Amino acid sequence: MRKWLAFVLLVPVLASFAFAQTGTKKRRPLPHEFGEVVIRNFSPGAGLSPVQFDHWLHRAYYTCRLCHVDLGFAMKANATGIKAADNIKGYYCGTCHNGKMMHGDRKIFPSCASKNAREDQKGCNRCHSKGEAVPRSTNFATFVEKLPKERFGNGVDWEKAEEKGLIQPIDSIEGVSIKRPPLAAQKDFAIGAKVETMPEIIFSHRKHTVWNGCELCHPEIFPTTRKGNTNYSMVEIFEGKYCGACHVTVAFPTTDCQRCHSKPVR
Amino acid sequence: MRRIAGAAVALLLLCPAGAWGNFPLPPEPPPELYGNILINRTSRESGVIPATFSHWSHRRKYTCRVCHSELEFAFRVNATEITEAENRQGKYCGACHNGRIAFGHEEAHCNKCHNGDLEYGKEKFSEISGLPASRTGNHVDWTKALEEKRIAPASFLAVKPSSDISYDQTLTLKAEWAFVAPAIFPHKRHTDWLECGNCHPEIFNIRKKTTKHFEMRRILKGEFCGVCHMNVAFPIRECKRCHPSSKRSQ
Repeated sequence: MRKWLAFVLLVPVLASFAFAQTGTKKRRPLPHEFGEVVIRNFSPGAGLSPVQFDHWLHRAYYTCRLCHVDLGFAMKANATGIKAADNIKGYYCGTCHNGKMMHGDRKIFPSCASKNAREDQKGCNRCHSKGEAVPRSTNFATFVEKLPKERFGNGVDWEKAEEKGLIQPIDSIEGVSIKRPPLAAQKDFAIGAKVETMPEIIFSHRKHTVWNGCELCHPEIFPTTRKGNTNYSMVEIFEGKYCGACHVTVAFPTTDCQRCHSKPVR
Repeated sequence: MRRIAGAAVALLLLCPAGAWGNFPLPPEPPPELYGNILINRTSRESGVIPATFSHWSHRRKYTCRVCHSELEFAFRVNATEITEAENRQGKYCGACHNGRIAFGHEEAHCNKCHNGDLEYGKEKFSEISGLPASRTGNHVDWTKALEEKRIAPASFLAVKPSSDISYDQTLTLKAEWAFVAPAIFPHKRHTDWLECGNCHPEIFNIRKKTTKHFEMRRILKGEFCGVCHMNVAFPIRECKRCHPSSKRSQ
C-alpha cells in the first residue's frame, strides 16, 4: 500500500524532472573557474577536502591526450576513481606528481606520496583544496595576461597560444608514452547544420590533433571516422555528448557559436 | 490509507487547474525608472551605500551582449560577484569605468553609482526622449531606434566575435488557448542585441516540443521571455508586440 502510494507520487515528480526546463540562467563560471574539476570520490571518506583540479594550469604545459589517453584519466569528473594508493604507485596524478619529475628547473611536488601525508596536511591541501584557503602558487590573472584573448571560457585563445608558441604543451612522458609517427590529418571540412540559415560548421582535424591525437575522440566519442555517418544535434552536444565532451566544460564553450558555425550560408 | 492516497492523486490532478486564472501583471515603474536596478550584494554589509544601475543609459551605447556576455554580468541582480578590487582590475564595471572610457574609481565619483537612489540621473532621461516612442517600459521603442540607426550601440569591447551569425528565422508559437493569437519570435531582433549563448541553451533549451513550457504564467515568474521582458526589454503588457494578430488594443 505504502509502496503504491510512493509510486503514484513519484511518477509525476520524476516526469516533471525529465521534461521540465527552468527557463532561467545559471551562474556562468568565471574565467579562472572554467574547466575546474572537483574530485570527491574518496576524499570526504578520508577526512580530506575534495580535490580541485584546474585545467587551465595543466593544459598550458601538457596536451589533453597525455592525461586522457596515456595516463588513463576519464573524460568525466569523478569517473576515474583515483585512489591515494594509485598515485603512490605512480599512476594518474602520481605519474608526474612524484616528487622526482622535473618541470623546468622545479621538482613537481609529490601527490599522496609520503606515509605521513595525513599529518602533513599542508602537503595534502595542495590538491585537496576545495573550500580551503590554500595560497596558489600560480595566479590566474598574471598567468593568462600574455596569452591571446578569447571571448568565453578561460578568456584565453588556447589554440592561438599554442600556434604562436606561447605555450608548448608536452605530448609524451618517457617511460609512460610510446611515441608513434603521427597520422596525416585530414583536410578541414564542412559539416552541414540541421537548421536552415545556420552557418555550416568547419571542422579542423589539424586543430584538434595537436591536443588530442586521434585516440582521444575515436572510436568512443565519435564511433566512425567516415564523414556524415554520425548524426548528432546541439541538444546532445549541450548534454555533454560528442563535441560537448570537451566543449561544454574545458575547451572553448558552446556559447561561442561562431567559432564552429563559421561557414557563411550560400 | 487508501483515502489519503486518493486525496493525493486528486490533488496532483487539480494542481495545474489551480494555476490558471488571470495574469497578474507586475506594477510598472515610471519610464525613467524602468530597468533601473539596485545592486546590494554586500554593499550594506560592508557599510557602503548600494550601487544603482540604469539600463536605459547604458543600452543606448552598448548592446546587451557587451555586459552580459563579454563582461560576465549575470541576468539577475546581485548574482554577479562584483568587487571593487575586480572593478579596479578592469573587470565588470571597471572595463569601461576606468577614467578613460567613462568615469573611473576615484573618490569624487563614488556616489555616481553608490547612491542607493534608483532615481539618480533621471534628469538625463530627456536625452533619449527623441527616440522612437512606445507606450510602455522606458517609453522608447529600442528595437526601432536600433533599426532606424538612431542609436549605434557597440557590440563588443575588446574581443571581436570571429564572425557574425545572421540567423534570422522567425518562429511562430501556437498559443495553448484556442482564442489567443500565436506568438511570433524574430531571431534577428534579438541577435542584434544578444549573443546566441545568452539565451541558449539555458533559458531556451532548443529541444523540439518543449515550447509548450513557455506559458505566460511562467514568463510572469521571470522565466523564459520573462528573464528580460519583465524588467528591461519591452514589458509583456505590450501583448501585440509578440501576439501581433491579437485583437487586444495593446
